Formats: sequence, structure tokens, C-alpha cells
Amino acid sequence: MSYVEASGLAKKYGNATIFQDIHFSLRKGEFVTLLGPSGCGKSTLLRSLAGLTDIDAGCIRVDGEDITRAAPQKRGIGMVFQSYALFPNMSVEQNIAFGLKLQKLPGSEIARKVADVIRLVALSGKEQHYPHELSGGQRQRVALARALVVEPRILLLDEPLSALDARIRKSLREQIRDIQQRLGLTTVFVTHDQEEALTMSDRIFVMDQGRIVQEGSAEMIYTRPATEFVARFMGSYNLLTPTEASRLLQLETRGHLAIRPEAIQIFTPGQAYPAHLSAPLPATIRQHQLLGNVIRYQVQAHGITLQVDQLNRRAEDLLAAGTEVNLMIDQQQMREVH
Amino acid sequence: MKTTSLPLAGKPAVPVRPRSRLRHWPAALLLLPFFAMLILFSLAPMVWVLVNSVHTEQGLSLANYNDILSSPFYRQAFDNSLRISVWSSVIGLVISLLGAASLRRVSGRLRRLVVSITNMTSNLTGVPLAFAFIILVGTNGALTLLLRQWGLIEDFRLYSSNGVILIYTYFQIPLGVLLLYPAFDSLDDDWQAAASLLGARLWQYWRYVGLPVLAPAILGTFILLFANAIGAYASAYALTQGNFNLITVRIASLVSGDIFLEPNMAAALSVLLMLMLLLVTAVNQWLLKKGARHAR
Amino acid sequence: MRAELYHRSVVAVLILLLTVPVLATLLYSLSEHWGATILPDDLSLSWYLQLWQDSAFLAAFGRSLAVCLGTLLLATLIIVPAVFVVFYRFPGLDKLMNALILIPFAVPPVVTSVGLLNIYADGPLNITGTPWILVGCYFTIALPFMYRSLANSLASINVRDLMDAAHLLGASTPVAFLRVILPNLRKGLMASLFLAFSFLLGDFVFANLLAGSHYETLQVYLYNMRQTSGHFTSAIVMSYFLFTLFLTWLTARFSK
Ligand SMILES: Nc1ncnc2c1ncn2[C@@H]1O[C@H](COP(=O)(O)OP(=O)(O)OP(=O)(O)O)[C@@H](O)[C@H]1O
Ligand SMILES: [Mg+2]
Repeated sequence: MSYVEASGLAKKYGNATIFQDIHFSLRKGEFVTLLGPSGCGKSTLLRSLAGLTDIDAGCIRVDGEDITRAAPQKRGIGMVFQSYALFPNMSVEQNIAFGLKLQKLPGSEIARKVADVIRLVALSGKEQHYPHELSGGQRQRVALARALVVEPRILLLDEPLSALDARIRKSLREQIRDIQQRLGLTTVFVTHDQEEALTMSDRIFVMDQGRIVQEGSAEMIYTRPATEFVARFMGSYNLLTPTEASRLLQLETRGHLAIRPEAIQIFTPGQAYPAHLSAPLPATIRQHQLLGNVIRYQVQAHGITLQVDQLNRRAEDLLAAGTEVNLMIDQQQMREVH
Repeated sequence: MKTTSLPLAGKPAVPVRPRSRLRHWPAALLLLPFFAMLILFSLAPMVWVLVNSVHTEQGLSLANYNDILSSPFYRQAFDNSLRISVWSSVIGLVISLLGAASLRRVSGRLRRLVVSITNMTSNLTGVPLAFAFIILVGTNGALTLLLRQWGLIEDFRLYSSNGVILIYTYFQIPLGVLLLYPAFDSLDDDWQAAASLLGARLWQYWRYVGLPVLAPAILGTFILLFANAIGAYASAYALTQGNFNLITVRIASLVSGDIFLEPNMAAALSVLLMLMLLLVTAVNQWLLKKGARHAR
Repeated sequence: MRAELYHRSVVAVLILLLTVPVLATLLYSLSEHWGATILPDDLSLSWYLQLWQDSAFLAAFGRSLAVCLGTLLLATLIIVPAVFVVFYRFPGLDKLMNALILIPFAVPPVVTSVGLLNIYADGPLNITGTPWILVGCYFTIALPFMYRSLANSLASINVRDLMDAAHLLGASTPVAFLRVILPNLRKGLMASLFLAFSFLLGDFVFANLLAGSHYETLQVYLYNMRQTSGHFTSAIVMSYFLFTLFLTWLTARFSK
């Protein structure tokens, strides 16, 4: 049973198609991420859902009600903007209370709700501060609180973390997800950061050039990319052209072959190679890159460079450039993409 | 870094003798003509006005001020000046606000055109402006004839208070647009989007967010428009040949008329005019300070 | 869409408000007669021909140009070195200067005239009724524009480093100023000069009160022509307006 239903959404600016043929449905309380590269139309799609941008075609339903032509004020949608869009002339408290005041709620109720949501986003003590007196992370949480306090049916978040530094980003990610689950809020989260998408979402929609090219759970998008674009976008996939695939693995494919770097194992010459596996692939270590708990090797086999991730267990195990090794690739983990 | 606490620092360095400030005296000479001109043609006349405003034949006294404040004729001049300045500034401000707000929402080409037009028409002030309006809305002006023919007006009295307000408003608009237009850049479009999602109608956005954010710029512009209007002389003088009673017209006639000159009276009027300007500026500063907390 | 239509209409009304007086004057100056009808009868340049052959007009225009150009020359010679000295030797003075240059801007010319008329009517500096008093006043009108513009230009280059570099290469301070600093100021200076020019040309108060008929400038001439034909005065207004347009255009060109 779907709570939000979008069908056939399309938008053009002049001759330029920003998005088209967008269909999706969201379950109530679901956290969905719209993932795609910069300029693919994520923000425009989000703004269309909120009613801030008119769409040329299509239909949006929330809880069975057609809101395609409804004014933004009437949609019951909350949004956190990339720039936060906090009102600079209002304190934290006034920013958050703004929507409630417009609803003409009694003062005591406004005060209670504001206090609650301030506690929820951990901003106690900052009530009287103005936006320019806050850090980026605090502003972000004010924006979130301001959108939450009016109890929207859907929460839209447009790259809310992109302006923050890596550490705050991680902790806010968890906070947002936590709050969303506590409130059971149907949420659409926009990002171009695949790690963010993978860690937060119930479901991911991957967008490319104004179309949703794949949708599915984080595991599914990550392990089974449907297209070459998704494979490239999801990170460090090795992508082999059909000729490379046949040269390296004697596999006949029509599309590209996508192999995740952790699906390849490295065996040093001294290491016993499990005999029951397929024939080893001889290769040479070219370079390595330390990514914290993972070491990423660039290895060369038959003139083709592959990326291989190994767990970083012991410093002694590091393989020097020029080392001759054998590779073993798990056939199960290879995917043909188009 | 603190090095003084290190035992190895050794002998204190020989203190550098502060070089005399006088070593730049040849350079200071170049400032001399600058200050001379400024003193001769700006500061000296100001001082003269201040000093002589409290001078009468009987010596030092406030008699001039007393005369002004008890004279209905001068009080009318103040009334007229104030009324015309306030009205033309308010109307000019409202028109410039609406114009500047819309200017940001039209295509770049149209916008550039309007900015050049405002720049161009900001040159049309004083005597030429008065003449242009006489041609347009004077007794036999083209627009007057048109409106009279359509039966919209009986007669427009250009040579009256309303006529002066009309002319003043005209020269306030370009100034207002040029001053306000950049201020609108400080408005983020997302604020309006955010406000509307929180349930605000367009007017509520302007009432609670847009205008408060613009308030300092609006106040500042108002002050400049007001000062511009209250000190203006040429257009009203040219329009009515000095028959419309304004402070500036009074001041000028007291020092340049052919009948009797009363420079000290003119000085006292001038001081009162300046005090009015100061007062308005002070109120503006106070208002700005009151709302300054969120100002970045 | 509705919003777009609204904004376009507002802008259109704004354009209309601003241009109608100009266009009416233009039309009036180009028409032989404009009696009790909405639109003029015959279009011709005859009023302009008459104007541009009028020796009184040409003389007034010439006097305006002379006094404005003279002022700007003097102002350049005085202000450019002064701003440079402030920036190079006495940077602490900049604040004071910024306050000082605002005085002529903030005090209405009528008020200044009261003092000037009485100080310079007799005594050692008896210059009332001569162009010299106008040069003095116009200097103060041009001052804020020129100072601000030059200060902005100087603030955007590193005066001290440039001067030090030039000194190390063997240039004396005046040479370094002329060869290194001055070229950087040229554009800003030109823009501010044209802007100031159009302001000076627009002055009526000083010209009328301090010089009057003794030295009749363009604005005073225009005022004195008020009893002649409206077509003739509109030809003067338009000639003046077109000339300031030309100056505005030059300002814009140099401030790019
Ligand atoms: N008002 C507009 N008029 C014309 N084109 C627009 C307009 N707004 C957006 N676009 C274009 O639409 C495309 C998609 O923009 P959008 O902001 O939706 O991208 P995005 O996916 O959010 O990118 P980012 O990750 O950089 O925020 C861009 O190519 C942009 O130039
Ligand atoms: Mg975006």
C-alpha cells in the first residue's frame, strides 16, 4: 500500500528537459534517497513534489489525495533546503515557531511544541541565538526542527549535509535517521554522495539525466547495479568492456562487466591457492592506497588495471609494487551491465 | 611566539627608535591644497552659518530663532518642506521598492535596460526637470490636455503643493531604485520557498521575512531621499519662480533677493534645516540599532 | 504565468513613469507648434537650429564647460596626490577623510551658499560673481565621487608593495607614483570624472546664487529663458539631457 504515488512527472525549462517519465511510490514511514550526480535534476524534482516548481505533466498523490496542483502551503510537506534558508531576522525559537504561528495555535501550545522539537534536535540553550551566530551543523538542525515542528506528512531534505564537514556529517546522518524513525516520517532525502545514500536509506532511487535509472534497497543497488552508469556512480567498481572481459576471463558478454573491488582476492605466491576454485589469474601489484581499514591495490593483469580492496589487517602484509600475485574473482559477484 | 622567557635570549635587542611622525612632512604638504579647498568652500561657510545664526544687531542672541519660530510665514515654509519631503520620499520609496522587487524577476535584458534608464533619468533634476513637467502637465501640457479631454480631471495644478510633490517624486524614483536594487540581492529565494511550505502566503512572507530583512536598506534609502528632498531648491524654484514657500526658497531669498537681505536670518533657517536632517538621521540610527541584532 | 506578468507590468509602469517626461519634452522640442491638441503638428529640427545658432546659448554652454572642466582639472591635480599620500603615508587618516568628504555631500548647497556669499562678497577674497567661487564649490561637489573612486582603486592594489618594488628597481617616489600607481588609477579616475561632470553640469543653486547673471552658466541661462517659447526651452533641456547621457555612457564605459 503506497502512501505517496508519483506518476509520469516531467519538467522542461524551455527546450531543456530537466526530468521526465518519473514514476515512484513511497510507503508510509519509508526513508528514500534520491541519489544522482550534480545537475541531474534532483532538486527540481524535490521542489516539484513540494509545489515550489510547476510540473509540465504527471500526477502526485499523497494518501490518496491528488496534490498535483495544490499550493505549497496546502500540501503538508516539510522541506530542509541545501542552504537551510533560515530567516536571518528571527532567532532559533522564532524560526521554529514561524509555521505554528501562521496556524494561529495558542501561545502555550506553540511554546510546548517548540521546546519539544528543540530538545529533539539537541539545540537546547540556543533558543535566543540568531542564525548567523550558529555553526553549520546547528543551522542544519534548526532547519530540520523548523520543518518537523509543523508535523508534515512528508519530509523532503535537499542535500542537507553537503555544506558540513565530514565528522559532523556522519553524526548528523545518524541523528536524522534516528529522528525520522522515531517519528515514522515518510522522507525523501536528496544527495549526490553514495556513501550517505547507502548508510541511511530504506530504498534508493538512482537518478541520471532526469530519469530514475534504478531503484532498490541499498544492498541491491550496491551489489547489483543495473546499468553501467549506476556501477560507475556507486563507487570504485571495475568495469570491463566486452573485449577486456573475454581477454581477462574468457567470458562472452554483450555489455560491460562490473566487478566490485572487494569481490577480488589476492593470493601471494607463497599462499596456498584453494585448488577447487577456478584457475588463478596472474597479476602484478602496481600501487596501493590506504583507505583506513581497507587497502586499495591497483593491480595489472593482461595489461588491464583492476582495483582490489583488501582488509588492512597487519602492516607486514602490505604488498610492494612489482610483487607478482594471483587473483581470484568470485564469479557470483560479477554483473553484466548495460 | 614568546621568546623573552627563553634563557638563551641574551641581551635585549636595541630598541628601534620610533621614527618621527614628522619625517613625512613633504608628503603632508601634498595634503595642504586639499584641506585648504575643503576648509575654504565647505567648512568655513558652515562655521559662518553657525556663528552668524546667533548674531543679531544686539549681539549674541537667539532672537533669529525666536523670530522664525513665531513667524507664521516661516512656519509655513517648514510645514511645506516637511510635507513635500515626507510625501515625495514615501511615494518614491514605495514605487522604487515595487520596481526593484520586480526588477529582479524579469529577464536580464529588460533589467539592464531599466537600470540604464534609471541611470539616465537620474540626471533629469532641477530646472530642466521643472521645465519637462511644465511641458507635460503644465496648464497647457500634453498630458493635462489629454486627461482633460477624457474628462478625468478638471485641472491639474502643477504650480501647487501637489505639483511640487509630483516633481520631487519623479527625481526620487531613480535614486530609490538605484539604492534599493542591490539590497534585494540579500534576499535568498529559498526563504520564500521555505516560508510558503510553512504555510505563509506571499504577503506573510514579505511581512515577516522580506521587509524586515530589507528594513535597514529601506530606512537608509528613506533618509537619503528625505535629505535629498528637503535640501532641494532648483526644481521648486524653477517651477514656481520662487513663489512656493519652502525653507530652501526662503533661505535663498534672504541672501540673494533684491529687496532686503537678512543673512543672519538665513543662517538661522539653515541651522534649523540642518537640525532637522540631523534629527532624522539620528532616529534612523536609533531604529537601526534597535533592530541590529540579526544584522550581519 | 501570473507572477511573471505582474513583474513585467510593474517594470513596464516604471519605465513609463521615468521616460514619459523625457519623451514629451523631446516631442515638444521637435514640433513646430503644439497647440490645444494631444499630439504635435509638424516635426522639425527648427528649434534646435535656432538654439544652436543662438550666441547667448553657446556662450552659456561654453561657460559651463569651462568652469566644469577647469574644476575637474584642478580637482584631479589636488585630489589624486592627496588620496595617494593618505594611502601610502597616512593610512590612519582615511577614516577622517571619508567623514570630511561627506560634509559637502550632506549639507544642502543653499546652506553653503549662505556662508559663501557672506565670506567672499568682500574682504581679501572677493570672488562672488566670478567663476572662481563656482570652481571652489564644484570642487567640493566632485570631491566625494573622486575620493571614493580613487580610494577604491588604491584599496584594490597593494600600494606599499608596488611602491617598494619600484623603489628597489631604482625609481624615486614621484617616478614610482607616476609610472606604477597612476596607471592603476586611470579607469576609476575617468569614471568618477565623468560622473562628477554630469553632477556639476546639473548645478543650479550655486550658479544662480553665487554667480548669477555675472557668469551665466547653462542652467541659469535655461532658467532665464523661461518666458520664451516652450519649444525653445525644451530644445535646451533635450540638448542638456543628451549631453549628460553622453557623460553617463562614458562613465559606464570606464567603470566596467
Ligand atoms: N529555473 C531554471 N531555469 C532553467 N534551468 C534550470 C532552472 N533550475 C534548474 N535548471 C537546470 O536544471 C538542471 C537540474 O538542476 P537541479 O538543481 O535540479 O540539479 P541537482 O540534481 O539538484 O544538482 P545539484 O546536486 O548540483 O544540486 C540543471 O542543469 C539546471 O541548470
Ligand atoms: Mg540540488
